[in-house]
Amino acid sequence: MKIRRIAAAVAAATAGAIVLSACSTPDVAGVAGSETQSVTVGWNQPMFSQNNLTASGNATANANILYLTNPNFYYYDGDLNLQFNDGLGSIKAVSQDPLTVEVTVNEGVVWSDGTPVDAADIILWWGAQNPKFNTVAGGDLERDADGNEVVPTDAVWFSGTSPIMELVSQFPEISEDGRTVTMVFDETRPDWMMGLGMPPVAAHAVADIALGKPDAAEAKDALIAAFHDNDKATLAKIAGVWNTGFNFTSMPDDPRLFLSTGPYILNEFVENQHLTLVRNEKFSWGPIPAIDEVTFRFTEDPMASITALQNGEVDLIAPQSSVDVLQNLANINGVTYVTDIEGTWEHVDLTFNNGGPFDPATYGGNAEAARLVRQAFLMSIPRQQIIDTLIHPLQSDAAIRNSFLFVPGAPGYDEAVAANGSDIFGGGDADKAKELLGQARALYPAMPQTIDVRFLYGASNVRRANMFQLIQAAAAPVGFNVIDNGDDMWGQRLGDGTYDATMFGWQSTNTFLLNAESNYVTDGQNNFGGFSNAEVDALWAKIAESADDTTAEVRGFAHEIESTLLHEGFGLPIFQFPGVVAHSDRLQNVSSIALSPTILWNFWEWTIAG
Amino acid sequence: MATTVLTEIEDAPAAPDETVPTRRSRAARSAPMLTFLARRILSSLFVLLGATFIVFMLFSYSVDPLEDLRFSTAPNVQQLIAERVAALNLDVPPVVRYFQWLGNVVTGDLGTSWRTGQSVSSILGAAIPNTVTLVSGALVLAIGLGVLVGIVAALRQYTRFDYAVTFLSFVLFSLPSFWVAVLLKLWGAIGFNDFLRDPTIAWYWIVGLSVLSGGLWSAIIGGVRRTRWVSFAAATVATGAILAFVSETDWIVQPSLGYVGIAVLGAGVAFAVVALTAGLSNRRALYASLTAAAVGVALKLPLQFLFVNASWVMMLGLAVAAVACGCLIGWLFGGDDRRVSMRAAAVTALGTGLFLFVDRVMQVWYAYNRASQINFRPISTIGSQTPGLRGDFWITTLDQFTHILLPTITLVLISFAGYTRYTRASMLEVMNQDYIRTARSKGLSERVVTVRHAFRNALIPLATIVPLDVAAMFGGAIITERIFAWSGMGSVFITALQNMDADVIMGHFLVVGSLLVVASILVDFIYAALDPRIRVNA
Repeated sequence: MKIRRIAAAVAAATAGAIVLSACSTPDVAGVAGSETQSVTVGWNQPMFSQNNLTASGNATANANILYLTNPNFYYYDGDLNLQFNDGLGSIKAVSQDPLTVEVTVNEGVVWSDGTPVDAADIILWWGAQNPKFNTVAGGDLERDADGNEVVPTDAVWFSGTSPIMELVSQFPEISEDGRTVTMVFDETRPDWMMGLGMPPVAAHAVADIALGKPDAAEAKDALIAAFHDNDKATLAKIAGVWNTGFNFTSMPDDPRLFLSTGPYILNEFVENQHLTLVRNEKFSWGPIPAIDEVTFRFTEDPMASITALQNGEVDLIAPQSSVDVLQNLANINGVTYVTDIEGTWEHVDLTFNNGGPFDPATYGGNAEAARLVRQAFLMSIPRQQIIDTLIHPLQSDAAIRNSFLFVPGAPGYDEAVAANGSDIFGGGDADKAKELLGQARALYPAMPQTIDVRFLYGASNVRRANMFQLIQAAAAPVGFNVIDNGDDMWGQRLGDGTYDATMFGWQSTNTFLLNAESNYVTDGQNNFGGFSNAEVDALWAKIAESADDTTAEVRGFAHEIESTLLHEGFGLPIFQFPGVVAHSDRLQNVSSIALSPTILWNFWEWTIAG
Repeated sequence: MATTVLTEIEDAPAAPDETVPTRRSRAARSAPMLTFLARRILSSLFVLLGATFIVFMLFSYSVDPLEDLRFSTAPNVQQLIAERVAALNLDVPPVVRYFQWLGNVVTGDLGTSWRTGQSVSSILGAAIPNTVTLVSGALVLAIGLGVLVGIVAALRQYTRFDYAVTFLSFVLFSLPSFWVAVLLKLWGAIGFNDFLRDPTIAWYWIVGLSVLSGGLWSAIIGGVRRTRWVSFAAATVATGAILAFVSETDWIVQPSLGYVGIAVLGAGVAFAVVALTAGLSNRRALYASLTAAAVGVALKLPLQFLFVNASWVMMLGLAVAAVACGCLIGWLFGGDDRRVSMRAAAVTALGTGLFLFVDRVMQVWYAYNRASQINFRPISTIGSQTPGLRGDFWITTLDQFTHILLPTITLVLISFAGYTRYTRASMLEVMNQDYIRTARSKGLSERVVTVRHAFRNALIPLATIVPLDVAAMFGGAIITERIFAWSGMGSVFITALQNMDADVIMGHFLVVGSLLVVASILVDFIYAALDPRIRVNA
């Protein structure tokens, strides 16, 4: 009875509902529609700090994003020529002795909150990177047990100092209109320009957060005054904000942390997932990009970024190159990829001071015999074979790098190769190597029949292990017994004299010659083989004194250094690392350079097809 | 469904009468238990301490945090090295650094990542929810499917189905996850998205899949030859019809279940639940369940108005309401065993509610696909959400689903095999025991013997595996997370290892290690509670 009643009620309700369904149901909400032109870039590491001038914030992951939001006065173009953002401002040397530089910010250039960019920001750049304001040295700071610096409240410590700003010891002069700063250098350096720029964080934001001054003009004055008067208490607060205040790994609540001076501004940041930049409506002092939104998605796995490209989730990737990666890319429709060189280059270095086969002491101090042995060994390295077997599959136009100081493709490389005498090494020549070794033996008859060479390299690096095999095989007939000294902790062993030859990569971050000085100068920081040559040291001193290192004269010094290095058998450059850039066909005008910011350098030229 | 069956204990004849022990004996029993607990916790602490020490030492001796600075051409590199040595205490031996780290942990400070300056607790705090979202769904699915398939395989021992399951589970067991993941991306994401452009299924696929499904169902259902052919034919025709429908209409572009779909599926749930828990001969339970399904269908329209401003809290509330409603229906039907009806109706109501939810998500499918960020390629291969996609609850839910789908399938495929093998083995063992023969000989139906007497006891071994799996789950699925760019505990671990970030590695290990230790203690107690033959002894 009861069941029947319930059943009837339910039946009635159901029938009613079905009748009612003829009535309209509420509309289904769609996606907040947008006709914006957006591009998604796949990158391997998320941004973690807006301030890339601190020691820890100085990472590519940050610099790439900042390239779009906080441009500098200059950038590298597709041919690695230094170009200037004339709309933003200018840097010019007004006097050479002493070197005096005027940094001017153009009128109308503002931070994204409307505050003008002016001298206060340049003073922040100068002061925060000038170690003279630090009352404690980074290494001397008290640490808590966890390794974090415990900075006493009255102590000033700015993380990440610049050796170029250190040369400007006097407080720079600020012009009447407050937009030009004049710096007088104590000493000159050809790469001084690399030490100048626009800070990625706003002076008024730093001062506001540190000192609680919401009025921008007041905040700027307070910041300038603090640096001018070297006011320890205020600078301590400013330094604290500078060092850690701009670190974030997801969208910050405080808009002062991500003020922009560029065409884009941070809009969305989901931790470890993605980061979206939208147009900075205030930007008018440079080329206006065609793309409305640029999103960076973070994937570490190269294969994952390729499938994401194939599935349309990302438009542009630069995965770590490998034969697998290239094969996969070749099999995808609607995707274009280009192989090219990266900023790192592989080289072989010899040890001069460990009593080994390349040390004159081994041959009773006969420097010429040792030199011939070094040259013979370098001559035996099958550079062309290494390129053909290991690099060619990754980059069809791969070539031997023949210069220590110039980046292939950058201005000056071809002239350097022509002038430095690298052609005698060619792609490796066993006969010539044997001949040189014979000459050495004539000078020092006690030389053993086969010379042992302990060769250090990163054992887990497959490419280096393969290179070692090729070098070992090629050197054996010449009379060298190359001993496998592969070690995963090779980095710690550099310079300890336990090996006779090694190979690893150097990374170029700019095209200035002085960048490489410490590799070759006597007792240089990165001169691991104990190479010492008075001529080379003198030439470096000349380069360091010049104000411009692109003149024919200074380049001539560099060519001389290179010929001496090659003649002395310092070592041998081998190749530039091959890289790959892939993008979907809808994204056009993509280009890449060997130096940072690689694939992003011309983002304002990107367009979307169709 | 397996779990709901498990909660049915009140009328199990096999369960021993628990009211006999007196208060005094219970108190006497708890003393050795406390000693046991204290001893276990203490020994676990030492295990944890030793493990962290070993991990710290292995880590410290295998990485070189100065590696990048050794090749830096920066002019102030000497100063940078000095700063980093001081920051990481690299000038003291690792043993001392371990005890410094330990001291901080004891005072509640897990440290910071020296690469990014982010505190370890905030890194873990961001990663744990992501991992739990990813892995918990996969774990529940893997256990559910694994148990179901394992039970069926045991009941159909040495049939073609059993052999097929055995073969398949060994294949899945030995598949490397990176390979499964890549194949899934190729077929499940790129292939499916390409298919969506022209969603028609070729006739030979329809025929092939239909026959396959027919074979599968006839093998599961089993029985005499006639039954098998009937089930084969029915399953083949049904699958063929569904596939043809999908292929010929725009259903896959604008899918929905509709009143008919929800009614059919709800009724299906009703029959299945009743068949398993009460037996179809229990008419009251069957009618109560069918009523619950019907009420769900009737509520479809009014719910659409409620769904406009949906949230997860509301969904949870509706789920509770559905259960309450089911209980009420069961109670109204009355009878001698109201609770059986109530339970069946509640489960059916919940199931029907789930279909209503799915139906509503399906309604935004087209709008979601049309969004410029999706561009008719809905299934994604990386990340946990589409950047820049802004929509209501339903859009974001669908977006989460399209992102979590492939990593979940990867994890399920790999871990499901193990559960199948465990369940099959333990079910076979139980089914061959004397008390099952006794139960059969006293005339109980095969359903009661299987579901009520055998199934529960067969689950006991699983109860010892699952807590450990749950604890291990917090460690993250390293490979799967990396391939699908999912930022959980696994990717925290691998990134920290690449960055040589000792504090982060140790923080990760501490979380996973502690949970494993707790889980293993828990397992001992669960085992003792479930199996009366085992007692916790001090």
